[in-house]
Amino acid sequence: MKLTRRDFAAGLAVGITAPYVIGSAARAQGATIKIGMCVPVTGPAAEQGLWAQNGAKLALAAVNKAGGVLGKQVELVIEDDQTTNPGIVLAFSKLAAQSDIVGFLGSIRSTQVHAMAPDVLKLGKPVMIGGTDPNLTHMGNQWLFRFRPNDSYSGRVIADYGVKTLGKKKWAIVHSTDAFGTAGGKALASALEALGSPAVLDQGYANQSQDFTPVVLAVKQSGADVLGTYFTFENDLGIFARQLRQLGVTIPWVGSPSVVAVSSTKLAGPALFGTFGVADYAEDSSDASKAFGKIYRDAYKTAPDNQSAWPYDAITVLSAAINKAGSTEPVKIREAILALKKFPGAEGEYNFDANGDGLHGYNVVKNEKGTIAFDKHIEFND
Amino acid sequence: MDLFLQLLFTGIGIGAVYALVALGFVLIFRATNVVNFAQGEFSMVAAYLMVVFAVDLHWPYWLSFLCALAGMALLGVIFNLGVYYPLRHRSFLPVIIATIGASILMANSVLAIYGPQPQVLEGWFETPGIQLGPVYLDSQYLLIIAVTVALVIFNYWFFERTMLGKKLQATSQDKEMASLLGISVSSMIMITFIYSAVLGGLAGILVAPVLFVSIQMGSTIALKAFAATIIGGFGDVAGAVVGGLALGIIETFGAAYISVPYKDGFAFLVLIFFLVFRPQGIFGERVAEKA
Repeated sequence: MKLTRRDFAAGLAVGITAPYVIGSAARAQGATIKIGMCVPVTGPAAEQGLWAQNGAKLALAAVNKAGGVLGKQVELVIEDDQTTNPGIVLAFSKLAAQSDIVGFLGSIRSTQVHAMAPDVLKLGKPVMIGGTDPNLTHMGNQWLFRFRPNDSYSGRVIADYGVKTLGKKKWAIVHSTDAFGTAGGKALASALEALGSPAVLDQGYANQSQDFTPVVLAVKQSGADVLGTYFTFENDLGIFARQLRQLGVTIPWVGSPSVVAVSSTKLAGPALFGTFGVADYAEDSSDASKAFGKIYRDAYKTAPDNQSAWPYDAITVLSAAINKAGSTEPVKIREAILALKKFPGAEGEYNFDANGDGLHGYNVVKNEKGTIAFDKHIEFND
Repeated sequence: MDLFLQLLFTGIGIGAVYALVALGFVLIFRATNVVNFAQGEFSMVAAYLMVVFAVDLHWPYWLSFLCALAGMALLGVIFNLGVYYPLRHRSFLPVIIATIGASILMANSVLAIYGPQPQVLEGWFETPGIQLGPVYLDSQYLLIIAVTVALVIFNYWFFERTMLGKKLQATSQDKEMASLLGISVSSMIMITFIYSAVLGGLAGILVAPVLFVSIQMGSTIALKAFAATIIGGFGDVAGAVVGGLALGIIETFGAAYISVPYKDGFAFLVLIFFLVFRPQGIFGERVAEKA
């Protein structure tokens, strides 16, 4: 058989258009409800991205097992955000172009949420986030819903615990200089001033540092008797923790959630023993947290942390809200999320306020020789 | 003074890491006139090989070390045959792009095989460090400094006192003339790639207990090592070492006495200074010999 140029052109045209024709037919049928997820598959936070996918997939399985959403199975569409701001903007634009995606999961990194926020506003569909910079839900973007308590709470809990429970007054604050670390450092500094114990050192550092000797020596020279930290990457925290102990700094340490994250605990080992952390996810803090801990351990043979807990809650809450709204219309989903009260999640009890913040308190936990032990939960009414 | 000494030790330790990776840059540049942007990934791959042998398979540390270096020698062969050799008659640009492509391939291959979790690799010594008066000396940094010094001496002896070293130098200075003198240029380039891969791997294995083993570890170090190479003078072994040490010390002292968040900025300010005022670096490239 001779293949003519016309046959070749016709074949090529059919080949190119077929997936779209078939795809649009499938979409018209609307066989599934789609949720988009921007997550680091590559880059420095690829490990945390894996934990996040694990949590989201567990929630997805539970939702689908319980009958799905609006009578349909839920499907997760994942895009790699490469742990960068341009990466998440690109990932979100790819997902946003798929008109049948009804809601999204954004990033746990505040700086990335800031980067994608203008596109979220333009699209006008609900995006669940884990970034804890307080500004994220206070900048007029009604489509962002936060599944972790913001850093205005974490700063207050760290300060409160260090000053009132540990009885320490001379604080050194160490924080990353990205959006998360800067906002966290500021929140802690403000909370300490309010308690009458202003920090004696406020030290920023750039992410992905290979050496923290100058930071450790600054802490040592400051004469601080307690350390408060906001580290973005567990790798950095691991190096800092080891150098801190090697250079003889043994003062109590109360840190943001990364200090008690699974990766930090593994990387830093004994250097983190005895440290305190504020944790949005603490396995023993509630029945829902315990239940999540059990199914996560059964599925992945490792302990969960906030990296997997918040996406688990985000999928669960988003699915429940769509079911409650009885529609996939963005405005109705938004109203349904905001109407959720006393919703039990792995991270805590969700009571969404008008800004889109679902949680308003933190747990305090302690690293007891590598095991993260729950101490207490501190809830705020504002 | 205590602070000064502690910072000096740390700066030299970090600088020695940059110097080890910079040595690999220089050797390949001398032999091929091409910058190998996959040099950092050599460090990362070697560190992961150590994790596989020493942690996963529980082999003795010294055996794991030798096997990881042997693996790197093999990678050097594959890299030469797969990336450089097919493009050897092209201009430098396609080769450089090929090395960037190879670095991405290596990083993502390790990610696909081993997953994104950073790994912990214990150091050679059980004692993490020693307290010498007011200064804490990290045992791994001590080892890195010692290995760097040993390699400088070895490189001097190898390139100046052995026939193979002289053949390698002749190849790097003028391939045509070296070929006319009966030197197998392709073999010399192959040896250079093997040696550079092993050097990069050695740096990765030595630094892994300090920085942890992660996909990003290579690119982070390589960027600074590249800057060190420019500061020291591209094409000069001593320059790579001096440039690496200078960079480590400058950024450590800059961070301590001026600003921690701008630590990387100091390193690259020095780089810009050299690019503007002394582009040939401290020691300068021996252009005359290549002409």
